[in-house]
Amino acid sequence: MMHHPKERPGSLSRRGFLLRSAGAAAALSGAGGLLAACGNSTSVPQATGTGGELVGPGGLPLARPDKRVTLPLWEDPIESGLEPETGGTFTVYNYPAYFYKKLLKEFGAKYDVEVQYTPFDNINSGLARLASGAVQPDVMEITPDTLDIGVAGKLIKPLNLDYIPNLQKNIWPQLVDPFYDGGSQYTVPYTCYATGIAWRTDKITEDIAGMEQPWDIFWESQAYKGKVALLSENRETIGMALLRKGITDINTEDATLVNQAVSDLKELYGVCNIKVDDIQYQSVPEGSSWLHQAWSGDMIAGYIYYLPKGTPASALGYWKAEHGKVPVQNDCFAICSTTKKPVLSHIFLNYLLDNGVAYENFVDFNGYQPPLNEIDPESLVKDGVVPEHLANSVLTDADLGTDSLQYGTLTSKGQQLWEDGYSNFLAGGS
Amino acid sequence: MTAVAEPRARPRPSTFTRIRGWLRNPWGKPRFLVVFTWAYIAWSIVPVLIAVQFSFNATRSRTIWDSFSTRWYWGDPVDSVWHDPTLRHALVQSFKLAGADVLIAVPLGVLLALGLARWHGRGSGVSNFIMLFPLVTPEIVMGVSLLLVFTQLFTFIHTGTFAQILGHVTFSISFVVVIVRARLFSIGRQYEEAAADLGASPFVALTRVLLPLLTPAIVASAAVVFAISADDFVISQWLSKGGETDTVPIQIYAATRAAPLPSVNAIATIMMVSTLLIVTAGFLTWRVFTRGERRAGKAAEDFGGAFNLT
Amino acid sequence: MYRRWLWPGFAFPGILWLIVLFVVPFYAVLGVSLGTVDPILFQPVPIWNPLEWNVGWLTEVFNRLAPGGIWFDVGIRTIVYVAVSLAVCLLIGYPVAYYAARHAGRWKGVILILIILPLWISYMMRMLAWVNLLQADGYVNRFLMFTHVLSQPRDWLGGRPSTVILALVYGYIPFLILPLFASLDRIDRSHLEAARDLGASRWSAFRTVTLPLSKTGILGGAVLITLPMFGDYFTPNIVSSSPTTSMIGNQIDLYFHSGPQPTIGAALTIVLAAFLTLLMLYYLWSIHRAQREVGAVGAL
Repeated sequence: MMHHPKERPGSLSRRGFLLRSAGAAAALSGAGGLLAACGNSTSVPQATGTGGELVGPGGLPLARPDKRVTLPLWEDPIESGLEPETGGTFTVYNYPAYFYKKLLKEFGAKYDVEVQYTPFDNINSGLARLASGAVQPDVMEITPDTLDIGVAGKLIKPLNLDYIPNLQKNIWPQLVDPFYDGGSQYTVPYTCYATGIAWRTDKITEDIAGMEQPWDIFWESQAYKGKVALLSENRETIGMALLRKGITDINTEDATLVNQAVSDLKELYGVCNIKVDDIQYQSVPEGSSWLHQAWSGDMIAGYIYYLPKGTPASALGYWKAEHGKVPVQNDCFAICSTTKKPVLSHIFLNYLLDNGVAYENFVDFNGYQPPLNEIDPESLVKDGVVPEHLANSVLTDADLGTDSLQYGTLTSKGQQLWEDGYSNFLAGGS
Repeated sequence: MTAVAEPRARPRPSTFTRIRGWLRNPWGKPRFLVVFTWAYIAWSIVPVLIAVQFSFNATRSRTIWDSFSTRWYWGDPVDSVWHDPTLRHALVQSFKLAGADVLIAVPLGVLLALGLARWHGRGSGVSNFIMLFPLVTPEIVMGVSLLLVFTQLFTFIHTGTFAQILGHVTFSISFVVVIVRARLFSIGRQYEEAAADLGASPFVALTRVLLPLLTPAIVASAAVVFAISADDFVISQWLSKGGETDTVPIQIYAATRAAPLPSVNAIATIMMVSTLLIVTAGFLTWRVFTRGERRAGKAAEDFGGAFNLT
Repeated sequence: MYRRWLWPGFAFPGILWLIVLFVVPFYAVLGVSLGTVDPILFQPVPIWNPLEWNVGWLTEVFNRLAPGGIWFDVGIRTIVYVAVSLAVCLLIGYPVAYYAARHAGRWKGVILILIILPLWISYMMRMLAWVNLLQADGYVNRFLMFTHVLSQPRDWLGGRPSTVILALVYGYIPFLILPLFASLDRIDRSHLEAARDLGASRWSAFRTVTLPLSKTGILGGAVLITLPMFGDYFTPNIVSSSPTTSMIGNQIDLYFHSGPQPTIGAALTIVLAAFLTLLMLYYLWSIHRAQREVGAVGAL
């Protein structure tokens, strides 16, 4: 997930696949079976799975682009044909400033509810607070890799797609029935993005897109010392080092590979005094950063909001790898089990998938594109939303597929491995 | 030719000799220290003044001055402090926390100071130690421990404003105690004993004699608590539940890591001016109330002397 | 009769508050660091019973901090930054406090106010001020280029240890100057005059009389700034987002705000707190010794 360009990022508002925070304790009995051993263990207890395969939280199978998962239904969805509830409040639980308030107000006016917007710092702390009862939202944002937690913890409700016709109508076919949530039983997609490289074309002389392995530019950036940065995120940084070496399994739990990737990353200290942050949408247009790992929406947002006067749009450059070598992700929306307005919640999900609403949310506020069929690079360039040379920042349905790459849930051990590797990188030692 | 020898004029000393004499004058002030101190003061304060100056910049730049404008305070319809709800909420939240902190910490701290100063029995040493510890605990340690206690032990208190207030009070109490206790020591027991000699009960001696004498310290400590609460970053951040419970320092921190607009300079200036006004009010109250007692012209030092913790 | 309970009674609410919200939380951290993790939400599951404590996380933290571990460099780096910052703070702060306490004369009040002033200005604002000044086109670079010290703008915010130390010094020095000032202020002039009468030069009078008498102030100020500085993580983040200047606090921050192992964060917090308690005990012992040494002189 990422945060809106206008949001002020801090160390807490980080996009993260596996961000956890010490939120409320989960009194979930999914934890049953873990032993408080009088012991010496540093393993996070592993939920057990069937048949010895790798499983994620709650024993749910790990979804991958080439391994579809249909999640179990822990309750039945609501019946079709019910009338939406009106009156009272309707709470949207999301990252700060990630949904256009004007559109929320319009929804509220149409259905006679007061729409409130409750932010969370990251999905995991949000889920933890939901589990503890500190908040009772109606709908919330969620990502495919935290979806397991929501389902295992019974925090999100199954959907009745009869209320959400826009899903079939407007959304890319591959996300109507995604691999991580077969049949869209719990989620609808919200925004999508890929990870690539953003740079200042007027400061970097190399032709990054033309390089044999563009990720190598980071290791050859001595001339730009102090102006080079990576995303402050354990999956993205280590994943990038893996991709650079041609390893496409970005969900690997092989310690050798991960540790080698971390060693590679550590070389960057000496090369360019590498920094880590998540403000590329602002720092690259403003020139305080010249070379930055970035998500595909960042340069669009940078172009729309942050380009200072006097800096031409052509100064922004973006590259992402070809299909099968580029990580493509998407956010979703789901209905919380604490909702008192389940029908209205379904209608809200339908509302955010409406062509006009999603487009306005994207162009006038968000900067990160929704997976709408009617959006493609040519139409956005024509509308002046995206300059021509940044057309590769726009994704299409063709970017997804069983051979595409996506950061997915890992087992507990895998997550520990990646987190510890990132801690090693962040420690700045030899 | 004259009979009287004319007095020979003394040669005027060269500039070099004069400067050297000025420098080496054993009865004069040490010149190096004067220059050094004023240089330090400039280094200490000028950057903040420049930041204040740029909050009035007409353009978005925080480094290149354009012209004077109040755009970032109320002019700009989207990004000014007045119009940007995030900034406004941060300001309100900061004042809320600081106000609540003063209202709770000062009474607790005054009572604690009185108790610790006069209590000599068992447990007083340990209590003293417990009181001093928050002053030197790194905030991240306190932040972690408070967050965990609110989420694992006292789970009925969720993160949010209430938790933030509890956290602020916890580190503020010690400041109140230190300031009030210093004042207690300088007052001594004489007044209470005089009151007792005149037949007052301990309660009366306390309320009619001691507390009024303590008023300047109480006011000063209230000002101090307000200032440190408004300044607090770590505890507020760790106990925050997200956007609406963010305070001004959290916003400034988030903004300094990005490339912020001068509106963050503006909000910082507003907070700083408010704090300074309150501290000045506290200081002036101290001055007024200690008129009779202080050595001439040294109120500021008494105030500063309260910070000697040893 | 009730008088015996009067003063402890006054102290009671405050002490109770501190015990419940300061001492007990440390036990919560202990319980979490010696506990385990819920496998679904990755929230810590504390273990309260000491007999069932899981020391794995603490052992892991010790292994990482030991030479050869992944955090050894961060630990050393943190200690170095704190030590250097303390030294610079003393070098700058002592002359200033000395002047303000002993020689300021009629300027004393004004100077004191100006020295205390930064305490009331938010730490974040002071850092913000420096970040603005240290930009590529900020005043520092422009001034240095104007005076021909630099020929092109220097990248101050590109991950330099010197910038981090500068920021730490700038941020914490007011907290050192104040106790120093207070302790220097209390030194009786007559001691110095006596030394001068006995033939000591200015420097040697300072060295043998003023310096030892101000030792408690130095120690107090040093403790007041070094202990919090050990937990600082926001200063390196603000003036340099580079891993090579990160401090140990950044690791605690990392493990609490991301990842399945908040227990590691809690364990590291415990280790840090224990280390600082040792320093605090050293300070108390030094104070005790210093006070005994100058006991005869009094006026401390």
